Amino acid sequence: MNYDYYDLKVLARRVRAENGLTSPRVLQTDLRQIYFRYGIEIDYWPYKFKYLRGAFICDDLGTTVMLAQNLPHDPMVFTMAHELKHFLTDRHLRASYCDQSNISKAVEVGAEIFAAEFLFPDQFFVEYMQRMRVKRNQCNAQTIIRLKQETRTTLSYAGLAIKAERLRYAAAGSLTRLKGWRKLEKVYNKAPAVGVFTA
Amino acid sequence: MSLLKHVAEQIKELRKHYNSGEGISQEALARQLNVAPNTISRWETGIYRPSLEDLENLSRFFGVSIIAFFPEEIAEATNDDLLALLRTAKKLAPEDLEELRKYAEFRHARSIYKGKSRPRPGRKATKHK
Repeated sequence: MNYDYYDLKVLARRVRAENGLTSPRVLQTDLRQIYFRYGIEIDYWPYKFKYLRGAFICDDLGTTVMLAQNLPHDPMVFTMAHELKHFLTDRHLRASYCDQSNISKAVEVGAEIFAAEFLFPDQFFVEYMQRMRVKRNQCNAQTIIRLKQETRTTLSYAGLAIKAERLRYAAAGSLTRLKGWRKLEKVYNKAPAVGVFTA
Repeated sequence: MSLLKHVAEQIKELRKHYNSGEGISQEALARQLNVAPNTISRWETGIYRPSLEDLENLSRFFGVSIIAFFPEEIAEATNDDLLALLRTAKKLAPEDLEELRKYAEFRHARSIYKGKSRPRPGRKATKHK
């Protein structure tokens, strides 16, 4: 079956539902359990990669996802969700890897879209924006920082920024061009909160 | 010859021929690998079975593939996963490609080496009469 990006989002939400995930805070343990249910073996590779985050192999030796062990928690979760998509839709390819050099390939873009939806479904994002009383094109860095902190989502700032722009809560490029989210986090944490948020 | 015996002999051979034939003592190798001094001797005599992680560390120390520890006829079996993976990985950074190759070899080695547990250190083997 060929999956377009819409199908991949539907698939992501279905897998979430099947595995009892109800919030935008998806942990490594959640994904480990899902991998276990699907019979996917995980290898945490302790040696250093320059860019590589993970790889998926499905062959006569079994189904394995290799993960760079030194990844911090949130990028690890994203990579696990990304590789889960390869398991669900790309097993015929037998192998794929995940780094920055192949990020524009359709199959990899699909995995990124799946992972972003899996960790933080668009529908949740819209609901949170409404609760925070943020209208279209009004979402700024401070909103994203509050959203991440209050939902404790494991989707990265970069992932949230892409989502905000794609769902037109922020102007194109206004958030994705920003760098240094952790520094911004410190700056905004000192500033008074904006908007009303009730989870 | 058993697989364990073959692995044991390969470790000994590599140690003796290390550094252009100069060799390295068991104690020095143990220090390099951060294992107990008598572990190398026990690996070489087949008393201990090195884990796959131990073999990976040894292969990195000696600069050989982990597959080098296994008999050729087993190790040469088609490794389709490795070939498939590397075919898709042409644009990877060279160091990542190299590390990915090592991972694929490790995975292949695991399929060869599977199913045998490592004897517990300090526990004497039971003799069957």
